Amino acid sequence: MAVRLLERTPARPAVRREGVGPFEAARRRMIGPFLLPALVCYTLVMIVPSVFTVWISFNDWAGAGPMEWAGLGNYTEMVADPVFGRSFANTMKILFGVGAAVFVIAFVLTMLLQDMAGRKFVRAVVFFPSLVPGLVIAILWGFLLDPDGLATSVLKSLGVPDPPLWLAPENMFTTVMAGMTWLAAGTYTVIFMAAADRIPRTFYEAAELDGASAARRFWHITVPLTWDVIGVCAVLWAIGALKTFEFVLVFAGAAGSLPPTDLWTFSVYAYAGAFPSDGVPRYGIASAAAVLTMVLTVVLTLLVRRVMGRRERTDY
Amino acid sequence: MTTRTVRRSRGPLFLLAMPLAWSLAVFDLFVVGWMALSSLKTTREVVHDPWGLPAQLQWGNYAEAWTSAAFGEGVLNSLLLVTGSGLGTILLAAPAAYVLSRFRWRLSGPVTVLFAMGLGIPGPAIMIPIYLGLDRMGLIDSLTGLLIVYIATNLPFSVFFLTAFFASLPRELEEAAALDGSGPYHTYWRVMLPLTRSGLIALFILQAIGDWGETFFALSFLREQKTISLTLLNFVQTMQYTGARWSVLFAGICIVVIPLLLLYLWMSSRLIEGIAAGYGK
Repeated sequence: MAVRLLERTPARPAVRREGVGPFEAARRRMIGPFLLPALVCYTLVMIVPSVFTVWISFNDWAGAGPMEWAGLGNYTEMVADPVFGRSFANTMKILFGVGAAVFVIAFVLTMLLQDMAGRKFVRAVVFFPSLVPGLVIAILWGFLLDPDGLATSVLKSLGVPDPPLWLAPENMFTTVMAGMTWLAAGTYTVIFMAAADRIPRTFYEAAELDGASAARRFWHITVPLTWDVIGVCAVLWAIGALKTFEFVLVFAGAAGSLPPTDLWTFSVYAYAGAFPSDGVPRYGIASAAAVLTMVLTVVLTLLVRRVMGRRERTDY
Repeated sequence: MTTRTVRRSRGPLFLLAMPLAWSLAVFDLFVVGWMALSSLKTTREVVHDPWGLPAQLQWGNYAEAWTSAAFGEGVLNSLLLVTGSGLGTILLAAPAAYVLSRFRWRLSGPVTVLFAMGLGIPGPAIMIPIYLGLDRMGLIDSLTGLLIVYIATNLPFSVFFLTAFFASLPRELEEAAALDGSGPYHTYWRVMLPLTRSGLIALFILQAIGDWGETFFALSFLREQKTISLTLLNFVQTMQYTGARWSVLFAGICIVVIPLLLLYLWMSSRLIEGIAAGYGK
């Protein structure tokens, strides 16, 4: 199934198959009470609503009153909508553009921090942005980058005559992407570093004796031996990127309502359909956008698995 | 890695990229410090002298944020939500992860995949049906309703994360416990669960970080009730009408951020240890 990558298949099965003795029988009886509470809660709040959303996406519905069967009408209308096109392009820019930047930065930092004085300190600090709710980051950035704000005044005092207008409509999305990069890079650095720390130091020492540079050591030891973690992170990033919502909403929409449509992502598009700033909610369209997000998630997960999963697992 | 690192060969790339690591760390520290300092200034100072020190520490900003901007209420509600959802999720996810990773039975594979699928379900995709469901049960604008949503949406990641922990424990432990006459429930509770403690702590912190400032579901399902993120959002929006009160806003931001920073500083080694085990293998 789609999310197979996230399922861990142990190299050696943790549990051997055995005849069902009294020990196994007693263990089996606990499966129900242990599993069902989580399963029921999860199914009722996540699975059932997802299925229902798929159903709504084939209907026209304003929340109140009867649903009207629309077939693929919502989907065709959505695809024809230029705003949707922009939302799609933006989501892809975040997914691939920001994603590439985040992973490169995280790689470089992992490599650098591997044998740097003060690594624990730096690692602790680069995780800070991940702690701060997206909402707060968005407010801070808005303040810092305001035309009369700090960033402009710093650049002016450094002698830059025309500092860029970060919050001008044409630059805003780039600013949003930079903010997201900053936010995510620390998180992935910490995860990669944690994975790299599990590699025995002797490997690096041997490579060093053979004259391998830091970059080569990273590329030939760290990357292959943390490949499965990188794969999990790639999937989690893809999922997270497709869900991008509050950062854009607040960063641009602090003015009170929805951000300008130039900045929309899938999630904002879906949200705007359900809670429009004017008029009647259009749950059908909102659901269609949400369904598309889910489909893309599945496709991407499969793709990442295809690309990443072909390597042999290395045990050491 | 002390004496050895000094001798280590360092390429030009290394020297080039080194300032990057430090400048990122310095920038992050700077932002935190500047934020804290700004919360103790007057609005005039924040705007006209953003780099300067406050002439007088304005502790009153915090009092004003806490009461008149209603951050107090938001903090209490968010504390309830974070604690409730953290404990609730672990209570549900740990036993499920245990039976999914340690027991081989027909459906353990498919059920694990079912949980993992939840990682890919975005908030907006389930928001409308949940809204309708909560509405029918009278749980719109109720913390209980939001708590249920938080617990359920935390489950996929939690099960995924904890499965790794349980899978890494040696089988012999359970066998030895059984030989000593411990029943399966007792084994789980007294032997297996305590061994995953670092994972449970890391999970609790990760959830606390996520739920503390959660905006999307809170915005969708609450009306009059406010979480900390809604209070902040509300305050930013009213600034349009009341004029910029940056001093109070920064105090509010600090009220949101500082508890997270303290939690992190207190627990960071545990958290990193837990992340290492949870994402690996």
